[in-house]
Amino acid sequence: MKNKKTTAILFLLFFTATLLWSQTAEEIIRKVDEQQYFATMKTTGSMITNDRFGTKKVDYISWSEGNDNFIIEFTSAAERGQKILRTSDELFLYYPDAEEIIRLQGAALKQSMMGSDISYEDMTAGNDTLRQYDVELKGSETIDGKDCFVIQMTAKSRKVPYPAQTLWIEKETYVPEQVRYFSKSGKLLKEMRVLEVREMEGKVIISKMVLEDKLKKNSSTEMVLDEIEINPVLGRDFFSLDQLAW
Amino acid sequence: MKLGSIAYRNIYRNLRRSILSATAIMVAAMSIVLLFSLLGGMKADITYNLQTYSTGGIRIRDRDFTKNERLNPMHLTIENVDILSRELLETPGVSVVSPRISFPARIYRGEENYNAMGVGLDFSTESAFQDLGPDVLQKGRLPESGKNEALLGYKLAEKAGVGIGDKITLLSSTASRGTNAITLEVTGLAVFPLSGMSDNTFYAPLDRVQHLLRMPDQVQEMLVKFDADVDERALTASLPSGLSDSENLEITYWQDIETSYSFIQMAETVYNIFALFFFFLASTVILNTTIMVIFERMKEIGTLSAMGMNGKDLVRLFFLESLYIGIIGSFFGVLLGILFTHLLSITGIDFGSAMEGVDFDIAPVLYPKLSLKSTVLVFFYSVVMTSVVSIFPSRKASRIEPVEALRAV
Repeated sequence: MKNKKTTAILFLLFFTATLLWSQTAEEIIRKVDEQQYFATMKTTGSMITNDRFGTKKVDYISWSEGNDNFIIEFTSAAERGQKILRTSDELFLYYPDAEEIIRLQGAALKQSMMGSDISYEDMTAGNDTLRQYDVELKGSETIDGKDCFVIQMTAKSRKVPYPAQTLWIEKETYVPEQVRYFSKSGKLLKEMRVLEVREMEGKVIISKMVLEDKLKKNSSTEMVLDEIEINPVLGRDFFSLDQLAW
Repeated sequence: MKLGSIAYRNIYRNLRRSILSATAIMVAAMSIVLLFSLLGGMKADITYNLQTYSTGGIRIRDRDFTKNERLNPMHLTIENVDILSRELLETPGVSVVSPRISFPARIYRGEENYNAMGVGLDFSTESAFQDLGPDVLQKGRLPESGKNEALLGYKLAEKAGVGIGDKITLLSSTASRGTNAITLEVTGLAVFPLSGMSDNTFYAPLDRVQHLLRMPDQVQEMLVKFDADVDERALTASLPSGLSDSENLEITYWQDIETSYSFIQMAETVYNIFALFFFFLASTVILNTTIMVIFERMKEIGTLSAMGMNGKDLVRLFFLESLYIGIIGSFFGVLLGILFTHLLSITGIDFGSAMEGVDFDIAPVLYPKLSLKSTVLVFFYSVVMTSVVSIFPSRKASRIEPVEALRAV
């Protein structure tokens, strides 16, 4: 009789713990998304690509609104005036010499942006992670001396760029210190590591990160944010095609 | 009576059989002349196409471009184009130079997009390098320097649904390793000699392509054509000494570049084997004829031997008979081969439907080209082969004892 009671209590504890554990994984991701959410934001930065041909630096200014809308305008001499607009489900390219605005879709989204390790597709991933992925907490690990949750994410549909991801999220700040992106077969495609963060308005913002396309040899791209402005005032139609050619 | 006269007379003794033997040789010789002419036509065509659209006679690039070619290294360019062009044109043996930029692009038109191959050319000088006349330019006009204009392969235009006056927007990687796009107006439609080119290629003014790809006063490659009768390899080898920036350049003779020309060289070997095989077949007819003649004339062989004709003369007699048949057959075979080649070199042979979708540097309509050297060779080769083969049975006949021969039949 006593044994049965003990077994029941243990089962209940185990079940509750498992339940809490899975809720925790979702909670963690929710907090990560919250960290990266801003009503509006303006940043000035650069994208530095190192590959077998040397180093290439591209400067840009970007404006974003929530999770879905953003515009990047390139300001370096070779790309001056070129813009990328992302709305909730579409990506457009604007080039000063082209009379037509190019809408990227399908396989074209897989192309590299400015020869970097970042593809246009990478920019289509929003912050509503839980709607796109099933998440599972795999445990804890230390990355660069920081205690991190290890979260395994599996895509719910084919609409996302990466079928699986593993995230190492710092327990204290909820910053994804390291993310690995995998194909459906489990092949490592890309790896992102955070190099620097900045605290602003009670949130921790990634200000420097490096992304490596593992399918390219000796190639990596650093994204550096020099200036960050939280909640700037942007016009109503700021993220529209009409605004691209202003 | 001399042996030659006897041999000549013997041809008429069974005229039908002699005609049959000569016909076999004639068909073989004619086929080989036609085959070699076809191969000659293919070689000439592929040489022109490669030298005009792909490799030049000599191709000059940045020294690291080719080894990184699969990565589309647009930043590996040739600088100081005007100086290099001048230096090249001052080199004895160089007839014309084409500075150009070949680049992969994606054409956007509305919701659709198409892969294409762009070529930036200086239209003011390019007509000396390639035919841009009415045979190629089927509709409209050539683009002009300084204007955002393009000449499209007619199939590419069909695919993109554009005509003269319409606009296309194209996106490509730049020399600064970024991307850029430009809108060009279609001013002309071209039928290139290579169907693959008509399917995916467009030409645009060099200066606008340089602007698009961020390559001021730079090109991706310089193609060079030779004067006639110049030692092409020697010129290629001596070229670097006359160029100021040669240590940064890769200078390659066109036959050293991996192209479909190697298939033609391979085909040439195969055709040589075919020729051997054809002549072997024709020789078996001669062999057969000689054997039959020997059996038929066994009594005569015995009589001739009894009258004092030695074995060598007997062999010579049959050899001469085969030689005459060989000469007649080969002569008419080569003559017919020349005639058909001439006719086909006017009408052409259309491989268009067979080559649909095949990416090969060869025009869909082939014009056989007669080579004097190979035609003369075919004639002598067929004569020698068919007459030599008669020696084997006739040597056997020469060893027959006269008494034995007279007893036969």
